[in-house]
Amino acid sequence: MFRVRVCVLIASLGLVEPVAMAAHHGSAAFESGKSVVLKGTVKEWVYSNPHCLLVLDVKREDGTLVEWVAEGQAPNTIFPVGYRKDSFKPGDQVAITVEQVKTGQPVGRILEAVLADGSVLGRASSAGAPPPRDQ
Amino acid sequence: MREPAQMRACTWIFLAILAFAVIQRPSVTLAQGGGAPGGWVTPDYAEPQVPVARRSSAPRRSMAGTWIPIGRFGTGTQAGGVHLKPNDGRPENQLPYTPFGLKLYETHKALEGADAVPPALGNDPRNLCEPLGMPRVNHYNLNLVQIMQDDYKVAILYQFDNRWRVIWTDGRQLPTVVEGGAVKLGDEIREQRFLGYSVGRWSDDTTLEAVTVGTMPEDRVWLDSTGRPITDQVRVTERIRRLDSHTIEWSETIDDPKVYSKPWETMRLPMRLADPRTDVMEYYCSPVEQQNYNRRFGNSASGGAGGR
Repeated sequence: MFRVRVCVLIASLGLVEPVAMAAHHGSAAFESGKSVVLKGTVKEWVYSNPHCLLVLDVKREDGTLVEWVAEGQAPNTIFPVGYRKDSFKPGDQVAITVEQVKTGQPVGRILEAVLADGSVLGRASSAGAPPPRDQ
Repeated sequence: MREPAQMRACTWIFLAILAFAVIQRPSVTLAQGGGAPGGWVTPDYAEPQVPVARRSSAPRRSMAGTWIPIGRFGTGTQAGGVHLKPNDGRPENQLPYTPFGLKLYETHKALEGADAVPPALGNDPRNLCEPLGMPRVNHYNLNLVQIMQDDYKVAILYQFDNRWRVIWTDGRQLPTVVEGGAVKLGDEIREQRFLGYSVGRWSDDTTLEAVTVGTMPEDRVWLDSTGRPITDQVRVTERIRRLDSHTIEWSETIDDPKVYSKPWETMRLPMRLADPRTDVMEYYCSPVEQQNYNRRFGNSASGGAGGR
């Protein structure tokens, strides 16, 4: 029976593998494969189409603030990964990992988000989507 | 202390009860991972396909259900090009363009694929919230689709932009495409449609074959998100096979002699049956939200090149 329980446990673990995200617009604008970790204060979370937008104040080393805008996919696409309309609230202290645009402007797409309560949400963009798994 | 024989008997009894419980589960697995707050069942994209042993044979002439592509979430997205021919520059995925087709492709500035441009430079009609049209509806985030039917028709409900399409199965004739792209129904000339005119027939009890003509011209629609062209001369043939109680396979072939020198297969997508109670989230193109996105993100991502 112990073996059976182990098998059931292993099978269950197989079901919680992160799912890949869908792409909506092109990857040409992004520095593919180069990620930046941003820690800052949420100004706004726009749960909209074609992409959700997270506006964040991030403090530079010299103490000045820079406003970052990070996108996720559309609500229906990032919902399965856990992103909700109230995942980010103004004033929340969060950390996000983004892939920045090639232009160098403070915009990027969300690869991972650590919310104010410490919970972690996965990819909100198509960047680096893992290969399909058998079901 | 039980005897080994007794323990073996207990084990066998337990396994028999377990097997009985599995067999007695509903034929459609109810959402677990997706959740159902307040009874509103959310899509469970990570749910594995029901094991073969728990599937039954295909019902007769029925494609009804809520369907999710088998594989990881995103299998039906096709952002990088149609399912069987992604636009990735590989030789095996080159398309049989006619000279006109290639020229037309080069005028399309897509945000995806081998020739992608930055967001603000694109000219995808989708970005103006134009209807995708047929067959692009089959190649645009096809990650959850509902099929409903009666004795006369099969209706496909697409998630994107809440679009629906009817395939008539009542024996009516397929319209004839006439000069200029319009269609002829009997003696009457009728308008072109984004989703065209679709007529289907059951080639056997588990296979629906549908043909679509009468779609919009090439200056209104694209084949996929990588800017591949399609014209109003296209004849789209779909074949939906019900493989068993929980599985369909949806394939599509396009024949558009104006832009492709021969017919080719775009999609062969296996899909699994989802919980019939699944609530489908809205997924739409709103000019207001699109404009806001361009202003706050898209233009910056393009180096301030201006919005669409």
